[in-house]
Amino acid sequence: MRRLLSAEWLKLRRSIVWLLLPVSPLIAFAVAWKAPLEAIGGAGWMEAYIISANVHGLMFLPLLVGIFAALLCRFEHASGGWKQLLALPVRPGAVYLSKLAALAGLVALLQLLLGAALLAGGLLRGMDGGVPWAELGRALLGGWVACLPLAALQLWASFAWSSFAAPLVLGTVFTLPNMLVVNSERFAPWYPWAQPLLAMMPRSEEGFGAFNVPAESLFLVIGGSFALFLAAGWLHFRRRAV
Amino acid sequence: MLARAIAAEWLKLKRKWILALAVIGPLGVVLLQAVNYGLRYDYVMKQNADDPWGGLLQATTGLMLPALFIGLALVASLSAGVEHAAGGWKQLLALPLTRLQVFAAKTLLTLLLLLLSCTLLAVFTLAFGAVLGFSLQELPWPDLLRQSYAPYAAAMPFVALQIGLSLAIGNQAVPMTIGVLGMVVSLFGMLLPDWVPYNWPWLALKAETALRAAAAGLGGGLLLLAAGCMHFTRKDVS
Repeated sequence: MRRLLSAEWLKLRRSIVWLLLPVSPLIAFAVAWKAPLEAIGGAGWMEAYIISANVHGLMFLPLLVGIFAALLCRFEHASGGWKQLLALPVRPGAVYLSKLAALAGLVALLQLLLGAALLAGGLLRGMDGGVPWAELGRALLGGWVACLPLAALQLWASFAWSSFAAPLVLGTVFTLPNMLVVNSERFAPWYPWAQPLLAMMPRSEEGFGAFNVPAESLFLVIGGSFALFLAAGWLHFRRRAV
Repeated sequence: MLARAIAAEWLKLKRKWILALAVIGPLGVVLLQAVNYGLRYDYVMKQNADDPWGGLLQATTGLMLPALFIGLALVASLSAGVEHAAGGWKQLLALPLTRLQVFAAKTLLTLLLLLLSCTLLAVFTLAFGAVLGFSLQELPWPDLLRQSYAPYAAAMPFVALQIGLSLAIGNQAVPMTIGVLGMVVSLFGMLLPDWVPYNWPWLALKAETALRAAAAGLGGGLLLLAAGCMHFTRKDVS
């Protein structure tokens, strides 16, 4: 498993992943550094975070998960790579799980970069002290967890379709309705593509729409959809002909 | 000759579900509005009580522009990807066709498919409004037509950009990624200054600026197409 992961790393190292990772951290950096904020210091940190998390979580995060998944499978689709990879003395299940782990790792890296960029921007502006570590950490971690079902689904789509565009279109088609869905208190908690944004928003009294749903129901939806997508993708991967 | 080249392009794309995509795009935009109206009909209708058509048209545009952005990237990438995939360029360019004709055939087919999508959007929107029982006498035809076609013209620089990138770069991950990120940027397009092309499709929706935005889009698009064509005609076949 560890060696499969290092193989994934070798393949990713030369890809455009590195151009994609900084996109939303740069936005967060700019927001924390230059955006007009009402408060500086403790509340200012959260304000800057909420602005950047809105942009990041609504569109960039779910779409990037899809792009990363498609990039992870591109090498194998490109030149008979599946045959080569699965001819090695490894279990197909392990190959699948290592790809999923690499994908989850990339998303974790993205979340860490976002947090770091936010801190760097805030420090440049001169916001010192009062960094709400616990709240920020919980929100970034929540966003990561909420991406896992999407990661499992996109990985499934990415190995099932040899075209690079097809899984991307799937991801986009389901991410775009986010614009409507997140305003709906009734439907957003049940819509997997809205979960990253919901999970990244700090829970507060003055939240509106679906931003105030209890964490338990979120984790039910996230856990349930993750188990479903993972099981379906895994079974399909092990049974399909190469 | 050009007509036959386009027919050949069509033959290659037919098996890629591309016509289905051209229909599903606008259908999806209208269906999502149908869900929106279905779930909260009373609320939406109360908000737009004096101008039901205007409300429907405005609600549609919010989803139409991102769909247009992702659609143009997808069609351009599929049409070039067919050749990148299996040494198609060598075969295609060995035919007694000029490079210009090959480029023109691919570009025209892309433009025609997008035009079809925009027309279908107008038709589906009209049909949905009729189903909701809006009076056809009150239908603001100029608004419907402007909304369907002006963003198409204003988005022409992006069509040209995606065609150029898809043809120039063998790895279709690059143009598709740029297309998807461009779509996200375009969502915030109306916050950008007027001269930024990402704002043009939004400007094209408004009556006052529609003509200017469409003209700027067509001009910029032609310039970029010329650049892409020049690159393509000089490029080595790998």
